[in-house]
Amino acid sequence: MNAFDPNISQRQPIRQLDDAAANRIAAGEVVERPASAVKELVENALDAGARRIDVTYADGGKTLIRVSDDGHGIPAGELPLALARHATSKIDGSDLLNIRSFGFRGEALPSLGAVGRLTITSRYGKDEAARIAVNGGAIGAVEPAALTRGTVVELRDLFHATPARLKFLRTDRAEAQAISDVIKRLAMAEPSVGFTLRDVSGGGEGALKFRADPENGDMFDALAGRLRTILGADFIDNALPIDAEREGLILTGYAALPTYSRGAAVAQFLFVNGRPVRDKLLIGALRGAYADFLSRDRHPAVALFLACDPERVDVNVHPAKAEVRFREPGLARGLIVSTLKHALAEAGHRASTTVSTATLGAFRAETRGHYQMDLASRATLSYRQPDRPQSGFAEFAPSARVEPVHSAEETSPEGVEALPLGAARAQLHENYIVAQTDDGMILVDAHAAHERLVYEKLKRQMAENGVAAQVLLIPEIVELGADDRAAILNAADSLAPLGLTIEPFGGNAVCVRETPAILGEVNATAMIHDILDELSDLGQTQTVKDRIEAILSRVACHGSVRTGRRMSGPEMNALLREMEATPHSGQCNHGRPTYVKLKMTDIERLFGRS
Amino acid sequence: MKVSIERSTLMKAMSRAQSVVERRNTIPILANVLIEAEGDKIAFRATDLDIEVLDTAPAVVSQAGATTVGAHTLHEIVRKLPEGAMVELSDDGTAGRLEISAGRSHFSLATLPKEDFPVMASSEYECNFSVKASVLKRLLDKAKFAISTEETRYYLNGIYMHAAEGAQGKALRCVATDGHRLAQVDAPLPAGAETLPGVIVPRKTVGEVMKLLDDDEAAIAVSVSETKVRFATPEVTLTSKVIDGSFPDYTRVIPQGNNKRLEVDAAEFARAVDRVSTVSSERSRAVKLALDEDRLVLSVNAPDSGAADEELAVAYADEPLEIGFNAKYLLEIAGQVDRENAVFMFNSSGDPTLMREGNDDSAVYVVMPMRV
Ligand SMILES: Nc1ncnc2c1ncn2[C@@H]1O[C@H](COP(=O)(O)OP(=O)(O)OP(=O)(O)O)[C@@H](O)[C@H]1O
Ligand SMILES: [Mg+2]
Repeated sequence: MNAFDPNISQRQPIRQLDDAAANRIAAGEVVERPASAVKELVENALDAGARRIDVTYADGGKTLIRVSDDGHGIPAGELPLALARHATSKIDGSDLLNIRSFGFRGEALPSLGAVGRLTITSRYGKDEAARIAVNGGAIGAVEPAALTRGTVVELRDLFHATPARLKFLRTDRAEAQAISDVIKRLAMAEPSVGFTLRDVSGGGEGALKFRADPENGDMFDALAGRLRTILGADFIDNALPIDAEREGLILTGYAALPTYSRGAAVAQFLFVNGRPVRDKLLIGALRGAYADFLSRDRHPAVALFLACDPERVDVNVHPAKAEVRFREPGLARGLIVSTLKHALAEAGHRASTTVSTATLGAFRAETRGHYQMDLASRATLSYRQPDRPQSGFAEFAPSARVEPVHSAEETSPEGVEALPLGAARAQLHENYIVAQTDDGMILVDAHAAHERLVYEKLKRQMAENGVAAQVLLIPEIVELGADDRAAILNAADSLAPLGLTIEPFGGNAVCVRETPAILGEVNATAMIHDILDELSDLGQTQTVKDRIEAILSRVACHGSVRTGRRMSGPEMNALLREMEATPHSGQCNHGRPTYVKLKMTDIERLFGRS
Repeated sequence: MKVSIERSTLMKAMSRAQSVVERRNTIPILANVLIEAEGDKIAFRATDLDIEVLDTAPAVVSQAGATTVGAHTLHEIVRKLPEGAMVELSDDGTAGRLEISAGRSHFSLATLPKEDFPVMASSEYECNFSVKASVLKRLLDKAKFAISTEETRYYLNGIYMHAAEGAQGKALRCVATDGHRLAQVDAPLPAGAETLPGVIVPRKTVGEVMKLLDDDEAAIAVSVSETKVRFATPEVTLTSKVIDGSFPDYTRVIPQGNNKRLEVDAAEFARAVDRVSTVSSERSRAVKLALDEDRLVLSVNAPDSGAADEELAVAYADEPLEIGFNAKYLLEIAGQVDRENAVFMFNSSGDPTLMREGNDDSAVYVVMPMRV
């Protein structure tokens, strides 16, 4: 036994905890860190109909948090009530399922009063302004005060009464970051409200950390303006407006193109009835919607608002109100997945503008161009050893080289330059196709594009009558571990419609009898291992359809033109035409663009001609 | 070194040598051809480290010697010289230049030391035999379409040449497969080839050897060891490493009991397959063969682009059968038939199908169906 284990051997009589202690315990649930206090206070201001909210903090919110609003205020007589537990003006308690405000529990202010020094100053209508203070749970008297309008809530020395909690706080910087995050989320939820955030750590005016002026205009314009302020113009330029409704569930907002994805889930802003949430169901739906376009290590960027009759969603399931429970979770998931998939499909050909901007940037960086290669690097180039071992029949590593299309007329039928992806002119590094269009040039990642085309074809075949299977002359025997063998045989029934027939074989081996015909000759062993990886990554979390699509995307890689294969002119043009005809071909299965476009004006700019 | 040689003789010798030289080379010496002049001959040696070609031609050698020079450049120069010109090659061994003169043209090319040139280690050949060029050409030509391009199954990236028991007695046999189809081509076993160890001749070597076989009547001397194979005409010797791997036991996959027999004019069949498969843009276009009494209906159904069918009069007297194949595979095997009708032997829609020319068992093809 150790000294910190709960000691139950010496029983004490059951006692009623005093209010201060009870409030402190409850506060633990509501107020985890300065940012949660800010969230409660700003939500109160929003509930009070504020148009402007100014937030100030010092030392990461640990010593001071102040939220001022221009809302309707609290009558002096009700100030003590505002600090009482379970006292709220927002619901009457008769219908917990019809909540239209951020607040509904009457817990926030008493909780804050229990863990810090809290002062509320407020003016209700034309009344005289008044103030009340509470320190470590001890409520003071209501005193007259000066304030032109609204409410100012000030919280000092958070957690001074609970030093244990203070210890768990992160650095000032991290806490300040969390505060700014909270403000940004709420600012997205309410574009028509103006926000400022100041850090007054050093005293005085402090530093303005964030500012969003009230947006006007219709809902979409206001939201777009607000998102531009918060997430940057880049996000809005690369995002698709979303507006869909299904059975009274409404989904609006913006979803970024897959090519604008992030390495972490840092740009996912989800709101349910205007309330910022981090809900697993919704995040899962998002993942499902982008699954076709992004690899698992990329995360979509979105700001999405789900709205429905408050009765259809329970917001009272999480102490910080971060999660919700839908009456019809399938409907919510379905709406998100299908709406986003549809929007992304329509945008299939819009390669992210960030990509081409970045490309342009890279081009410009080259202004000190070395036309004359220096001797040292010339020497390393020409005496570079082949990348591959010399044994066997490996050819030498391909060098950087242009494969010109022999003659434009022979390979590019007339008029193709008017087509979106133009006429192939050359292949670089045995992968990238350079094509000329009427108004610029296109650079295509042939490998990625081909992979996408194969994937789309597989999906189409799958939907029609199953993927055509090529029977193998010599079945391939693949040796596996016992677990892997069981896992792949388990999946055998769902792999058969994908054109992959796997049967048990002696020992720990399986026998591959048929492979998807579209892939041509395949390395069955590598493919089986890839599918196993995919199966274990997916676990049981995905629907059967999602799983099949994930596997198809893996399978598609095996049929693709490897980087390093030289293509003839007609082959390149055929690939371009196929891309034009295939939806979603603007991104590869991993969410990278398959092509980028440089407009004539971009090219001219590179040379300073414009 | 100082040599004088007639342009067209030089051209012929050079073009065979330079063809093994890889166009993009990261090791400079491999872009070069080794020129050796001695007696009344000049020899050109080129290599990619896996294949070595040694080509000799008669020449007037006024000073023996050796050097190396860029193969493609020399070839280009010789190609552009006028027909019938006398070409003089000279190298004083110190300047690091090869001087080339023909008429009023003069070239000077940078050389690399001949010592740097990697000459393939010589080998003990345990089996030597001679085969007529036309016979070797047929063996390689009819098998090569089935060579695999999947690099991971490297042991299928060539033609398996070995001695076997054929339908007409002992045979020199070439086999190639990519796992979807297989070609097995036999020729009577030449004297001396009885001890032939089975070797896998790489795809590139097959291509290079084919270039040496324009004279049908020429005798090609073949030498084989465990690691190398050599093909020689009086002027040219091509030595190649063989693929280090074991070729699968292909005999088990050649069906013996297929009893549904279709006989069809190969060219007509190929044209029909080609026509119906036009409607599909897929790389793996599936053609369905529906067989009924003396009737074959070929059809393609590509849901996103269209459908086509065509009926052919054929000889077929067995139970009705429907079977699908990759159109490309059908076209390729039908293309191997040049004299008689193509005879297909089927079993069921999931089993290997056999094809041969008339009743000639010296070349058989197996193709696996596609299941749609
Ligand atoms: N900034 C404000 N302006 C006007 N009234 C306010 C403000 N802040 C709090 N109040 C009043 O004080 C009451 C108590 O606030 P508190 O945050 O404790 O509870 P709540 O918002 O009702 O519920 P919850 O605990 O879910 O936040 C509110 O119901 C509201 O009437
Ligand atoms: Mg509240």
